[in-house]
Amino acid sequence: MPLPVLRIEKLCKSFDSTAVISDVSFNVIPSEVIVVIGSSGTGKSTMLQCINLLHRPTSGRIFLQEKEITAPGVNQDDVRRQMGMVFQEFNLFNHLTVLGNVTIGMVKVSGIPAKQAKEKAMQELVRVGMAEQCDKYPAQLSGGQKQRVGNARALGMDPKVMLFDEPTSALDPELTGEVLAVMQKLAAEGMTMIIVSHEMGFAREVADRVIFMEDGTIEEQGTPDQIFSTPRSERTRKFLSVIRPGKST
Amino acid sequence: MQAFYTMLHFLLPGLGVTISVTAIALCMGCCIGALMAVMRVYGGFVAKALAVCYSMVVRAVPVVVIIFILFFVISEFVDLSPFMSGAIALGFASGAYQTEIFRGALLSIPQGQMVAARGIGMSRTKAIRCIILPQAFRVAIPSLINEVSLVLKDSSLVFVIGVPELMRRAQYASASTMEPLLAFGTAACFYILMTLFVSRLLEAVEKRFAISF
Repeated sequence: MPLPVLRIEKLCKSFDSTAVISDVSFNVIPSEVIVVIGSSGTGKSTMLQCINLLHRPTSGRIFLQEKEITAPGVNQDDVRRQMGMVFQEFNLFNHLTVLGNVTIGMVKVSGIPAKQAKEKAMQELVRVGMAEQCDKYPAQLSGGQKQRVGNARALGMDPKVMLFDEPTSALDPELTGEVLAVMQKLAAEGMTMIIVSHEMGFAREVADRVIFMEDGTIEEQGTPDQIFSTPRSERTRKFLSVIRPGKST
Repeated sequence: MQAFYTMLHFLLPGLGVTISVTAIALCMGCCIGALMAVMRVYGGFVAKALAVCYSMVVRAVPVVVIIFILFFVISEFVDLSPFMSGAIALGFASGAYQTEIFRGALLSIPQGQMVAARGIGMSRTKAIRCIILPQAFRVAIPSLINEVSLVLKDSSLVFVIGVPELMRRAQYASASTMEPLLAFGTAACFYILMTLFVSRLLEAVEKRFAISF
């Protein structure tokens, strides 16, 4: 059993006095693809943002490659550099071109010289199929294109883990496919991924493990087959019965 | 007509002084304004309090009073010409208004920009410098165009401390020729021309750098 790249122990996060996630624990092994499912408001996004320390966990510990990142005195910016995040609303930098969006992190954070950064960025853009639009601005792109650039931007930092926060939820169904294709490719290349998504078809096809969250805790987890075909918990069954009729892949 | 040309000729040196005072004041105001706005939006308690006090107090006092106060305060410590004194005072005043302009611009930047910047490992400072401020400057341009026009007109107030800019020279001309309409009317023409010219220039800058969200 390879050493886990990510270990999450008893993660809790409260905003004021409301507990959004409580007692979440799981491990992630290298190249594993985990899809987190659950109703809206069950803390899935919050959990993801705690993992890369965008939110400070209220309690619990997180280990990235066996180093505790929740310990006091840890350089949080450095931790975030090692984890790529892709957002539901894309959040591309509007004043930079597509190429600029991918290079800025390399140049300003990783300290890579501009020329090298440009070459590396073009490689990532080719990977996501956006190389031809490298001189366009985000406002000139479709949603699917923006999200693919968002992927390239995160990948450009050479992350150890990629976190996807509902990457296709803001997209029209026609554009969802192109983004899912990129994510499938990344998974096939061996990237460790944690994806919060409503795309059940994608989860079935690509996920190694599915985690079902309810009320801020992990209700059930297992392989896609286990969760979708033979769920153990009543709540999981209830959620799936609501989600699946009428949901197209 | 001849009188008009003579007047134009007499007022022309004042134009140079007016433009210089305005330019110095705007640059100074821009630096102060941007800094104070960042302090106000992203700063800790002390930074925020300082920025709020500066902005509120300076905007509550008429610019001519600020000019007088700073002129007498500065002359206590440093031997500065009325020109520099006036330009600094104007810059100090404009800074307060520009603080509010930049504050509005900073707040209009979507939250997701900061989140994404931190997501790729940028520190808060780096994110502000590389991602937020460049966008905020572009958003602020329309309001800054307005501020340029205002400072240009407020520059006439430094005549009270004897700076030989357009207004002062118009006063001399009016007193010596006994033709106030000609003197002040010509000065007004100059102000109109300058405002039009600078506005057009800045509108072109705005078009060039505009970004959409």
